[in-house]
Amino acid sequence: MSGRPFYKSSELVNGLSRRSFMLKAGLIMTGIFLGGCIRKLNPKSAYKNIKGNIKGPNAKAGHILRDKLPLPTPTSTSSVKTLIIGSGISGLSAARWLKKQGYHDFELLELEDHVGGNSHSGKNNVSAYPLGAHYITIANNEDTLLTGFLQDCGVITGFENGLPVYNEYYLCFDPEERLLINGQWQEGIVPDFGLNAGDKAQIKKFFTLIDELKKSKGNDGKYAFDIPIDNSSADDQYRALDKITFKEYLHQQKLSSVYLLWYLNYCCKDDYGQGIDKVSAWAGIHYFASRRGKAANAESNAVLTWPEGNGWLTRKLATEVSAHTRKGNMCYSINYNQQGKVVAGIYDVAKSTTSIIVAENVIMATPQFVNQRLFKDTINRPVDYTRLNYSPWFIANITVNRLPQGKGAGLCWDNVAYDTPSVGYVNAGQQTVKLTDEKRVLTWYLPLCNHEPRIARLAAYTRTYEQWMDIMMPELEYMHPGIADAIEKVECWVWGHGMIYPAVNYIWGENRKAAQLPIKNNLFFAHTDLSGISIFEEAFHQGIRAANQVLAIYGKQQNI
Amino acid sequence: MNKKLHALLLISVFVVATCGLIYELIAGTLASYLLGDSVTQFSTIIGVYLFSMGIGSWVSKYFEKNIISWFIQLEILVGLVGGTSSTILFLVFENIASFRIILYSLVGITGILVGLEIPLLMRILKDRYEFKDLVSKVFTFDYIGALLASLVFPLLLIPYLGLVKTSYMVGILNVGVALIVCISFKKEIKAAVYLQTSAIISILALLVGFVYAGVITNFSESLTYADTIIYSKSTPYQRIILTKKGKVLRLFLNGNLQFSSDDEYRYHEALVHPGLQALPNARNVLVMGGGDGLAVREILKYPNIRSITLVDLDKGMTGLFKSNHMLLNLNKGSLLSPKVKVINADAFTWLRQDKKKFDFMVIDFPDPSNYSVGKLYTNSFYTLAKAVLAPGGIMVIQATSPYVAPKSFWTVDTTLRSVGLHTIPYHNYVPSFGEWGYIMATENPVYKKPTVFLPGMRFVTKESLDLMFYFPKDMAKVKTEVNKLNNQVLVKYFEDEWSSVL
Repeated sequence: MSGRPFYKSSELVNGLSRRSFMLKAGLIMTGIFLGGCIRKLNPKSAYKNIKGNIKGPNAKAGHILRDKLPLPTPTSTSSVKTLIIGSGISGLSAARWLKKQGYHDFELLELEDHVGGNSHSGKNNVSAYPLGAHYITIANNEDTLLTGFLQDCGVITGFENGLPVYNEYYLCFDPEERLLINGQWQEGIVPDFGLNAGDKAQIKKFFTLIDELKKSKGNDGKYAFDIPIDNSSADDQYRALDKITFKEYLHQQKLSSVYLLWYLNYCCKDDYGQGIDKVSAWAGIHYFASRRGKAANAESNAVLTWPEGNGWLTRKLATEVSAHTRKGNMCYSINYNQQGKVVAGIYDVAKSTTSIIVAENVIMATPQFVNQRLFKDTINRPVDYTRLNYSPWFIANITVNRLPQGKGAGLCWDNVAYDTPSVGYVNAGQQTVKLTDEKRVLTWYLPLCNHEPRIARLAAYTRTYEQWMDIMMPELEYMHPGIADAIEKVECWVWGHGMIYPAVNYIWGENRKAAQLPIKNNLFFAHTDLSGISIFEEAFHQGIRAANQVLAIYGKQQNI
Repeated sequence: MNKKLHALLLISVFVVATCGLIYELIAGTLASYLLGDSVTQFSTIIGVYLFSMGIGSWVSKYFEKNIISWFIQLEILVGLVGGTSSTILFLVFENIASFRIILYSLVGITGILVGLEIPLLMRILKDRYEFKDLVSKVFTFDYIGALLASLVFPLLLIPYLGLVKTSYMVGILNVGVALIVCISFKKEIKAAVYLQTSAIISILALLVGFVYAGVITNFSESLTYADTIIYSKSTPYQRIILTKKGKVLRLFLNGNLQFSSDDEYRYHEALVHPGLQALPNARNVLVMGGGDGLAVREILKYPNIRSITLVDLDKGMTGLFKSNHMLLNLNKGSLLSPKVKVINADAFTWLRQDKKKFDFMVIDFPDPSNYSVGKLYTNSFYTLAKAVLAPGGIMVIQATSPYVAPKSFWTVDTTLRSVGLHTIPYHNYVPSFGEWGYIMATENPVYKKPTVFLPGMRFVTKESLDLMFYFPKDMAKVKTEVNKLNNQVLVKYFEDEWSSVL
């Protein structure tokens, strides 16, 4: 069979999905709009006293790219050896690595007025709080690049018997997590309270399976599941798991307990923003089987967290390279000039002016859907951009002056209710040593995974503050009856493209491999969407990988 | 006069009787909640109330003209006094010791007013009924009202409304009677408009009270204290309650006994002297927790001490122990001494900033019964404490009961040792607490038992010290984990061990 019929059917599928997309999108938008109108007619909402606002990444700048709005002609031109575009963790990590290797001729560009990408954080008069990624687990001990960084920034304070000693102010304070299930808060999130023996046995079976997979190595001697992902074994026995959904895999394993399935679905939503029916089995297992970190003073898989979440790590990465960082500047196009150098069009968001940067080479620490727009038709990559799917997220930072307590375990760092749409909330003040008064900030995470991402994204941009409250409050009231009266403020944040999710066949498919390939040995790529899972560790390694590609040009690559 | 009015007046009797009895029940319940000893409280309240009603009945003969108008005014007044009585009592209870005077005055006033009601009503009705009918009808409704009151009060009102709301509701009923009577008899009374307006305003005022009643207080705590509460205050951090029985003062923080004035000397002598007596050259002392100033009182007995820094979170606590005369008697005004510097700050946060060194440190925090306090018993905290301990210095930590909670006690010991400190655990008997434990910690194994103590010790002597340092088998050391911020094992041990006792 030639390729032609394939293309045709693909066009057909695209055409169909485009039409159904318009239809679905239309229906949902109308629903939200009508809902908003009805709400206005009946302003007696139970939550009308709750004050706050909705924010998100710079939408104006984003739309310049998406809608190809006309920009003023560039007024100046500058040049730099290496340009890093995007200061999320990947970009920051690339910049840090260049600097660490004694390479200083680079510039880091960021369109927002802050660095950190989805590890962004905020602060009010009660506490700092995360606006996205908010924890890491202790590092795998073989991952010396990461442990090196953690040592640099004081997270690892030393070694005892060969094991790292973690700073105890950053290890998640006890009590760590609780679950509201069968009318009571139980300790831990794995369902237990009120489960019958059959369900408990299935949960045990799953974790036995995971313990096995954690230790498993492929025929190439590499761990079956590792961090960074590209260190994992190529053994097809494991990679085949990427071709089915996690749900199918669990079905094959005859794991059918509703409690277990809920838990695994929750975990996938928590880490990937999508449920077990969307993410690949390989990725679903990776969540559990890839973390083998051991510490001298903490349990395996212990969590490291800060009031501002990974905003803390962002700050540590950013301070080292702050002199090289230009915020509020958006790259709007990437081209080659006649000498083969990379020409970046830059838009100054505050001044509304444009300029040109000519670079020997560029690290694109930007998501691929952005790269597609920057490259327009001038730079072609063998990448099917439509296969890269990003989960939208809604995050609310809720300031409460008290927390009505239910039966069972008290407030923990992570607080989840069984069988609710959100993945619960974290207590931003968990890492404080103060005897806190009752004022707290709770960070509530809602992955928008009920519809396909583009529709959910569009719907998320359309919703009003009141409509978000209508979604969030019933769940919070279910967790803590009477909490509405205790809320002082709710600050909302919408991530349209919160994170890549590992759809079936993405992690070990051709597309991801192709997207990682540099162009002309001077255009490099670093982003978690090239890993397929959006975690700090992946971004950290993506940055180092791309930085090493740059260093290799100048013969500086370190053998690490 | 028509039948409607007859019925109306009789209903008034009924309502008035119900309200009257409910006021009595409210006062009795409130008194036994707040003061304890329900038999005494109910007896005295009922006695005073009935006697006051007698006074009211006697006074009724002095009302000659405008009986209906008087009756209306009376109802408004009863409604206002009765309706606000429980609120007034709760509010004054927080602040003054002469609570009983206010209580019985209010009961007396209400009693007199209620005592006036029935005689006045009978006189209003006297021309409208034959005497035998009148007496029969009025008392029938009176007693039915009493029955109703005694049933709805415990079964409906208290469970669903609580004391404060019940008072306001009954007050509104009383004033409601006034309003209805006023409207029905407006032709027979002067100044009907004035009375009507006052009734409406009173109802509105009581309604406001009813709505905001929840804010006034949560009195259920009073049930748990056996002694008279002489002071109670909620600070941002804790609920402070001081009780008194005979001469004995007791301090409770969040319901947990902190000291009892009759035996606190045993605790504070044991806490301070075994350590400080061994440091004849000590100059600077740090006390963390202990906002009652009792440990400071003991420390001030040493003339060599130049400065004492007291770090206590709660200004409400140190303020109370700097101002209340009973408490100043107890702590000998220690917190007012020029040698003492009181810092109201969070101990953990305070300690994390750079500090000068201290020769002797007293770490006297509440028991590790929750995760917030549990942090103050972790290796991270002791690392900070060790950093401010002067060379050769001693710190002493109150460490819960080695008898009731051996795992908890020895966890503190293990945790102190885990940060490289040498420990000297000891214990003594404090009647209010039971067998209690303390741990001294030093950087080097330098501690030598003092052989001579200051004059005036009531408990600590050379001989008692030998006993204190000896741990019999039932309190012997057990192996435990280190208490850390990320495991908080101590809180779990503590919960387990004490829940099996309490």
